[in-house]
Amino acid sequence: MQFIRATTNVVLSNSSFLKLNLVKTIWTSKPSYLKEVREIEKGSELIVQGVNYPSPRENYLLKNTNASVCPICSSGLDIKHTDVLILSQFVRSDGCVLPRRITGLCRRQQKRVSSLVAMAQKAGLMSNLTPANSKKDPKKRRGWKKYNKYFDESTIKLK
Amino acid sequence: MSALKRVQQWATFARIWHIYDATWQNPFESAALLKKYLMGLHKPIYHPLADCGDHVVVINCSEIALPGDEWKKRVYFHHTGYPGGASWTLAWELHKKNPTLILKKAIYHNMRGNLQRRYTMERLHLFPNESVPDEVMKNISNQIRQIRPVPKRLDHYTEDEVKEFPKLIDYPKDYIIR
Ligand SMILES: [Zn+2]
Repeated sequence: MQFIRATTNVVLSNSSFLKLNLVKTIWTSKPSYLKEVREIEKGSELIVQGVNYPSPRENYLLKNTNASVCPICSSGLDIKHTDVLILSQFVRSDGCVLPRRITGLCRRQQKRVSSLVAMAQKAGLMSNLTPANSKKDPKKRRGWKKYNKYFDESTIKLK
Repeated sequence: MSALKRVQQWATFARIWHIYDATWQNPFESAALLKKYLMGLHKPIYHPLADCGDHVVVINCSEIALPGDEWKKRVYFHHTGYPGGASWTLAWELHKKNPTLILKKAIYHNMRGNLQRRYTMERLHLFPNESVPDEVMKNISNQIRQIRPVPKRLDHYTEDEVKEFPKLIDYPKDYIIR
Protein backbone atom coordinates (compact mmCIF):
# COMPACT_ATOMS: atom_id res chain seq x y z
CA MET A 1 0.00 0.00 0.00
CA GLN A 2 1.08 3.59 -0.54
CA PHE A 3 0.74 5.05 2.93
CA ILE A 4 3.38 3.11 4.80
CA ARG A 5 4.93 4.95 7.69
CA ALA A 6 8.15 3.35 8.85
CA THR A 7 7.33 2.23 12.38
CA THR A 8 8.29 -0.82 14.38
CA ASN A 9 8.84 -3.52 11.81
CA VAL A 10 8.18 -6.94 13.20
CA VAL A 11 10.49 -9.35 11.44
CA LEU A 12 8.63 -12.56 11.83
CA SER A 13 10.69 -15.15 10.13
CA ASN A 14 13.16 -15.78 7.40
CA SER A 15 11.86 -19.13 6.30
CA SER A 16 8.67 -19.91 4.49
CA PHE A 17 7.22 -22.63 6.75
CA LEU A 18 6.60 -20.08 9.50
CA LYS A 19 4.08 -18.37 7.19
CA LEU A 20 1.48 -20.72 8.69
CA ASN A 21 1.76 -18.92 12.03
CA LEU A 22 1.70 -15.54 10.33
CA VAL A 23 -1.87 -14.49 11.05
CA LYS A 24 -1.68 -15.42 14.72
CA THR A 25 1.63 -13.59 15.19
CA ILE A 26 0.27 -10.44 13.57
CA TRP A 27 -2.83 -10.25 15.69
CA THR A 28 -0.99 -10.44 19.03
CA SER A 29 1.27 -7.42 18.40
CA LYS A 30 0.71 -3.75 19.17
CA PRO A 31 -3.03 -3.07 19.04
CA SER A 32 -3.22 0.65 18.17
CA TYR A 33 -2.13 0.41 14.55
CA LEU A 34 -3.35 -1.06 11.28
CA LYS A 35 -1.21 -3.74 9.79
CA GLU A 36 0.10 -4.65 6.42
CA VAL A 37 1.95 -7.81 5.54
CA ARG A 38 5.02 -7.39 3.38
CA GLU A 39 7.12 -10.18 1.92
CA ILE A 40 10.68 -9.36 0.88
CA GLU A 41 12.82 -11.95 -0.85
CA LYS A 42 16.58 -11.65 -0.42
CA GLY A 43 18.27 -14.45 -2.30
CA SER A 44 17.24 -17.64 -0.53
CA GLU A 45 15.70 -15.82 2.44
CA LEU A 46 12.08 -14.79 2.66
CA ILE A 47 11.43 -12.00 5.14
CA VAL A 48 7.82 -11.51 6.14
CA GLN A 49 7.17 -8.21 7.87
CA GLY A 50 4.11 -6.91 9.65
CA VAL A 51 4.20 -3.15 9.16
CA ASN A 52 2.17 -0.93 11.48
CA TYR A 53 0.78 2.44 10.51
CA PRO A 54 -2.15 4.66 11.59
CA SER A 55 -5.43 4.40 9.69
CA PRO A 56 -5.61 6.63 6.59
CA ARG A 57 -9.26 7.34 7.43
CA GLU A 58 -8.60 8.66 10.95
CA ASN A 59 -8.88 12.38 10.09
CA TYR A 60 -11.83 12.09 7.70
CA LEU A 61 -14.10 9.91 9.82
CA LEU A 62 -17.71 11.07 10.10
CA LYS A 63 -18.87 11.25 13.71
CA ASN A 64 -21.47 8.63 14.61
CA THR A 65 -24.11 10.80 16.32
CA ASN A 66 -26.23 7.90 17.49
CA ALA A 67 -24.00 5.10 18.77
CA SER A 68 -26.90 2.67 19.23
CA VAL A 69 -27.36 2.24 15.46
CA CYS A 70 -24.94 1.48 12.65
CA PRO A 71 -22.94 4.23 10.84
CA ILE A 72 -25.21 4.41 7.76
CA CYS A 73 -28.48 4.45 9.76
CA SER A 74 -27.19 7.20 12.05
CA SER A 75 -25.98 9.30 9.09
CA GLY A 76 -29.49 9.19 7.56
CA LEU A 77 -28.07 9.02 4.02
CA ASP A 78 -30.05 7.58 1.13
CA ILE A 79 -27.13 6.06 -0.75
CA LYS A 80 -27.50 5.50 -4.50
CA HIS A 81 -25.45 3.14 -6.65
CA THR A 82 -23.77 6.15 -8.29
CA ASP A 83 -22.30 7.35 -4.95
CA VAL A 84 -19.01 5.58 -5.60
CA LEU A 85 -17.05 7.71 -3.10
CA ILE A 86 -19.19 6.22 -0.30
CA LEU A 87 -19.48 2.69 -1.68
CA SER A 88 -15.73 2.36 -2.22
CA GLN A 89 -15.28 2.65 1.57
CA PHE A 90 -16.93 -0.75 2.00
CA VAL A 91 -14.87 -2.48 -0.67
CA ARG A 92 -11.42 -4.08 -0.75
CA SER A 93 -8.97 -3.25 -3.52
CA ASP A 94 -10.13 -6.33 -5.48
CA GLY A 95 -13.78 -5.20 -5.39
CA CYS A 96 -14.85 -7.61 -2.64
CA VAL A 97 -17.36 -6.22 -0.12
CA LEU A 98 -16.01 -6.17 3.45
CA PRO A 99 -17.80 -8.55 5.82
CA ARG A 100 -20.18 -7.32 8.48
CA ARG A 101 -17.78 -7.88 11.37
CA ILE A 102 -15.48 -5.28 9.79
CA THR A 103 -18.01 -2.77 8.42
CA GLY A 104 -20.09 -2.87 11.62
CA LEU A 105 -23.31 -2.28 9.67
CA CYS A 106 -26.69 -3.69 10.60
CA ARG A 107 -27.98 -6.66 8.62
CA ARG A 108 -30.28 -4.50 6.49
CA GLN A 109 -27.67 -1.91 5.51
CA GLN A 110 -25.03 -4.57 4.81
CA LYS A 111 -27.41 -6.24 2.35
CA ARG A 112 -28.22 -2.90 0.76
CA VAL A 113 -24.58 -1.86 0.46
CA SER A 114 -23.56 -5.15 -1.14
CA SER A 115 -26.40 -4.80 -3.66
CA LEU A 116 -25.38 -1.22 -4.42
CA VAL A 117 -21.75 -2.27 -4.90
CA ALA A 118 -22.88 -4.95 -7.36
CA MET A 119 -24.90 -2.32 -9.25
CA ALA A 120 -21.97 0.11 -9.34
CA GLN A 121 -19.64 -2.63 -10.60
CA LYS A 122 -22.08 -3.69 -13.33
CA ALA A 123 -22.48 -0.07 -14.41
CA GLY A 124 -18.69 0.15 -14.63
CA LEU A 125 -18.44 2.97 -12.07
CA MET A 126 -15.86 1.26 -9.82
CA SER A 127 -13.85 -0.50 -12.52
CA ASN A 128 -10.55 0.33 -10.78
CA LEU A 129 -11.62 -1.79 -7.77
CA THR A 130 -11.70 -5.16 -9.52
CA PRO A 131 -9.59 -8.36 -9.46
CA ALA A 132 -6.17 -8.07 -11.04
CA ASN A 133 -7.12 -10.13 -14.11
CA SER A 134 -10.04 -7.87 -15.07
CA LYS A 135 -9.87 -5.54 -18.07
CA LYS A 136 -10.67 -2.45 -15.91
CA ASP A 137 -12.15 -0.41 -18.78
CA PRO A 138 -15.93 -1.12 -19.01
CA LYS A 139 -15.87 -0.31 -22.75
CA LYS A 140 -13.76 -3.42 -23.34
CA ARG A 141 -16.41 -5.76 -21.97
CA ARG A 142 -18.10 -8.33 -24.20
CA GLY A 143 -21.44 -7.96 -25.97
CA TRP A 144 -24.22 -6.04 -24.24
CA LYS A 145 -22.13 -5.47 -21.11
CA LYS A 146 -20.02 -2.74 -22.68
CA TYR A 147 -22.91 -0.28 -23.00
CA ASN A 148 -23.99 2.21 -20.33
CA LYS A 149 -26.56 1.00 -17.89
CA TYR A 150 -28.10 2.26 -14.68
CA PHE A 151 -30.14 0.66 -11.94
CA ASP A 152 -33.19 1.41 -9.83
CA GLU A 153 -32.43 1.20 -6.10
CA SER A 154 -36.07 0.39 -5.30
CA THR A 155 -35.53 -3.05 -6.87
CA ILE A 156 -33.32 -4.07 -3.91
CA LYS A 157 -35.46 -6.40 -1.83
CA LEU A 158 -35.04 -5.77 1.90
CA LYS A 159 -37.02 -7.18 4.77
CA MET B 1 -47.77 47.23 -37.18
CA SER B 2 -45.10 48.75 -34.97
CA ALA B 3 -41.46 47.68 -35.20
CA LEU B 4 -41.70 45.98 -31.82
CA LYS B 5 -44.73 43.95 -32.80
CA ARG B 6 -43.06 42.99 -36.07
CA VAL B 7 -39.98 41.66 -34.33
CA GLN B 8 -42.17 39.85 -31.80
CA GLN B 9 -43.96 38.18 -34.69
CA TRP B 10 -40.65 37.06 -36.20
CA ALA B 11 -39.39 35.78 -32.88
CA THR B 12 -42.60 33.85 -32.24
CA PHE B 13 -42.52 31.98 -35.53
CA ALA B 14 -38.77 31.57 -35.86
CA ARG B 15 -37.50 28.00 -35.63
CA ILE B 16 -35.17 27.60 -32.66
CA TRP B 17 -32.34 25.05 -32.64
CA HIS B 18 -31.94 23.13 -29.38
CA ILE B 19 -29.05 20.87 -28.43
CA TYR B 20 -29.36 17.83 -26.16
CA ASP B 21 -26.53 15.70 -24.78
CA ALA B 22 -27.70 12.06 -24.63
CA THR B 23 -24.77 10.90 -22.44
CA TRP B 24 -26.11 8.43 -19.81
CA GLN B 25 -29.71 9.34 -20.67
CA ASN B 26 -32.55 6.87 -21.08
CA PRO B 27 -33.62 7.13 -24.76
CA PHE B 28 -37.28 6.48 -23.95
CA GLU B 29 -37.50 9.17 -21.26
CA SER B 30 -35.59 11.51 -23.56
CA ALA B 31 -37.99 10.78 -26.42
CA ALA B 32 -40.96 12.09 -24.45
CA LEU B 33 -39.00 15.26 -23.68
CA LEU B 34 -37.57 15.89 -27.15
CA LYS B 35 -40.93 15.26 -28.84
CA LYS B 36 -42.32 18.41 -27.19
CA TYR B 37 -39.60 20.56 -28.73
CA LEU B 38 -39.83 18.89 -32.15
CA MET B 39 -43.62 19.34 -32.35
CA GLY B 40 -43.66 22.78 -30.71
CA LEU B 41 -45.81 21.58 -27.80
CA HIS B 42 -43.83 23.83 -25.44
CA LYS B 43 -45.10 26.97 -27.21
CA PRO B 44 -48.30 28.81 -26.21
CA ILE B 45 -49.20 29.22 -29.91
CA TYR B 46 -49.19 25.46 -30.51
CA HIS B 47 -51.75 24.07 -32.89
CA PRO B 48 -51.52 20.77 -34.82
CA LEU B 49 -51.66 22.68 -38.11
CA ALA B 50 -49.43 25.59 -37.02
CA ASP B 51 -46.11 23.99 -38.08
CA CYS B 52 -44.33 25.65 -35.15
CA GLY B 53 -41.91 22.85 -34.22
CA ASP B 54 -38.23 23.46 -33.49
CA HIS B 55 -35.04 21.71 -34.51
CA VAL B 56 -33.34 19.41 -31.99
CA VAL B 57 -29.70 18.37 -32.32
CA VAL B 58 -28.84 15.33 -30.18
CA ILE B 59 -25.16 14.60 -29.55
CA ASN B 60 -23.48 11.52 -28.00
CA CYS B 61 -26.25 9.15 -29.04
CA SER B 62 -23.86 6.21 -28.69
CA GLU B 63 -23.54 6.99 -24.95
CA ILE B 64 -27.20 6.42 -24.04
CA ALA B 65 -27.94 4.27 -20.98
CA LEU B 66 -30.64 1.64 -20.50
CA PRO B 67 -31.87 0.44 -17.08
CA GLY B 68 -30.83 -2.96 -15.71
CA ASP B 69 -30.41 -5.68 -18.33
CA GLU B 70 -32.62 -3.98 -20.90
CA TRP B 71 -29.80 -4.02 -23.47
CA LYS B 72 -30.33 -7.77 -23.84
CA LYS B 73 -34.05 -7.90 -23.05
CA ARG B 74 -35.46 -5.28 -25.43
CA VAL B 75 -36.09 -6.69 -28.90
CA TYR B 76 -36.70 -4.86 -32.18
CA PHE B 77 -38.85 -6.68 -34.71
CA HIS B 78 -38.57 -6.38 -38.47
CA HIS B 79 -40.29 -8.24 -41.28
CA THR B 80 -39.13 -8.06 -44.86
CA GLY B 81 -42.57 -9.05 -46.19
CA TYR B 82 -41.37 -12.31 -47.65
CA PRO B 83 -42.17 -15.70 -46.04
CA GLY B 84 -39.65 -16.36 -43.27
CA GLY B 85 -38.57 -12.73 -43.43
CA ALA B 86 -39.10 -12.00 -39.73
CA SER B 87 -36.10 -10.98 -37.67
CA TRP B 88 -35.64 -10.05 -34.04
CA THR B 89 -32.73 -7.80 -33.07
CA LEU B 90 -31.64 -7.18 -29.47
CA ALA B 91 -31.22 -3.57 -28.40
CA TRP B 92 -27.44 -3.88 -28.01
CA GLU B 93 -27.10 -5.48 -31.45
CA LEU B 94 -29.10 -2.66 -33.03
CA HIS B 95 -27.04 -0.12 -31.12
CA LYS B 96 -23.84 -1.76 -32.36
CA LYS B 97 -25.03 -1.52 -35.98
CA ASN B 98 -26.23 2.08 -35.69
CA PRO B 99 -25.71 4.05 -32.46
CA THR B 100 -28.43 6.60 -33.30
CA LEU B 101 -31.22 4.21 -34.23
CA ILE B 102 -32.57 3.40 -30.74
CA LEU B 103 -33.13 7.08 -29.99
CA LYS B 104 -34.58 7.72 -33.46
CA LYS B 105 -37.07 4.86 -33.15
CA ALA B 106 -37.96 5.91 -29.59
CA ILE B 107 -38.85 9.43 -30.70
CA TYR B 108 -40.65 8.21 -33.83
CA HIS B 109 -42.84 5.83 -31.85
CA ASN B 110 -43.53 8.44 -29.17
CA MET B 111 -45.47 10.55 -31.71
CA ARG B 112 -48.90 9.85 -33.16
CA GLY B 113 -48.83 8.28 -36.63
CA ASN B 114 -50.14 11.10 -38.79
CA LEU B 115 -49.02 12.96 -41.90
CA GLN B 116 -46.95 15.43 -39.83
CA ARG B 117 -44.76 12.79 -38.17
CA ARG B 118 -42.31 12.31 -41.05
CA TYR B 119 -41.85 16.09 -41.42
CA THR B 120 -41.35 16.47 -37.67
CA MET B 121 -38.66 13.77 -37.75
CA GLU B 122 -36.82 15.75 -40.42
CA ARG B 123 -36.17 18.40 -37.77
CA LEU B 124 -34.35 15.89 -35.56
CA HIS B 125 -30.59 15.69 -36.07
CA LEU B 126 -28.84 12.77 -34.36
CA PHE B 127 -25.07 12.43 -33.99
CA PRO B 128 -23.30 9.41 -32.45
CA ASN B 129 -20.61 11.57 -30.81
CA GLU B 130 -19.71 15.20 -30.18
CA SER B 131 -18.60 16.04 -33.72
CA VAL B 132 -21.36 18.19 -35.25
CA PRO B 133 -20.93 19.99 -38.61
CA ASP B 134 -20.34 23.72 -38.26
CA GLU B 135 -23.36 24.67 -40.36
CA VAL B 136 -25.54 22.85 -37.80
CA MET B 137 -23.65 24.07 -34.74
CA LYS B 138 -23.87 27.76 -35.68
CA ASN B 139 -27.72 27.69 -35.51
CA ILE B 140 -27.91 26.43 -31.94
CA SER B 141 -29.24 28.88 -29.36
CA ASN B 142 -30.59 26.70 -26.54
CA GLN B 143 -29.58 23.65 -24.56
CA ILE B 144 -32.14 21.16 -23.23
CA ARG B 145 -31.45 20.05 -19.67
CA GLN B 146 -30.58 16.38 -19.20
CA ILE B 147 -33.07 14.18 -17.33
CA ARG B 148 -30.63 12.04 -15.35
CA PRO B 149 -27.40 13.22 -13.71
CA VAL B 150 -24.33 11.80 -15.45
CA PRO B 151 -22.54 9.47 -12.99
CA LYS B 152 -18.84 9.96 -12.40
CA ARG B 153 -16.54 6.94 -12.33
CA LEU B 154 -14.39 6.35 -9.26
CA ASP B 155 -11.18 6.38 -11.31
CA HIS B 156 -12.10 9.83 -12.69
CA TYR B 157 -11.88 11.39 -9.23
CA THR B 158 -8.44 12.54 -8.15
CA GLU B 159 -6.63 10.54 -5.50
CA ASP B 160 -7.03 13.38 -2.99
CA GLU B 161 -10.79 13.63 -3.59
CA VAL B 162 -11.17 9.93 -2.77
CA LYS B 163 -8.87 10.17 0.24
CA GLU B 164 -10.40 13.30 1.75
CA PHE B 165 -14.04 12.36 1.23
CA PRO B 166 -15.79 11.94 4.63
CA LYS B 167 -15.60 8.32 5.74
CA LEU B 168 -18.51 6.44 7.30
CA ILE B 169 -16.49 3.58 8.77
CA ASP B 170 -12.92 3.08 9.97
CA TYR B 171 -11.01 -0.19 9.80
CA PRO B 172 -10.70 -2.20 13.03
CA LYS B 173 -7.39 -1.69 14.84
CA ASP B 174 -6.00 -5.09 13.91
CA TYR B 175 -7.22 -5.05 10.29
CA ILE B 176 -4.81 -6.07 7.55
CA ILE B 177 -5.39 -3.75 4.63
CA ARG B 178 -5.42 -5.26 1.15
ZN1 LIG C 1 -28.30 0.22 10.52
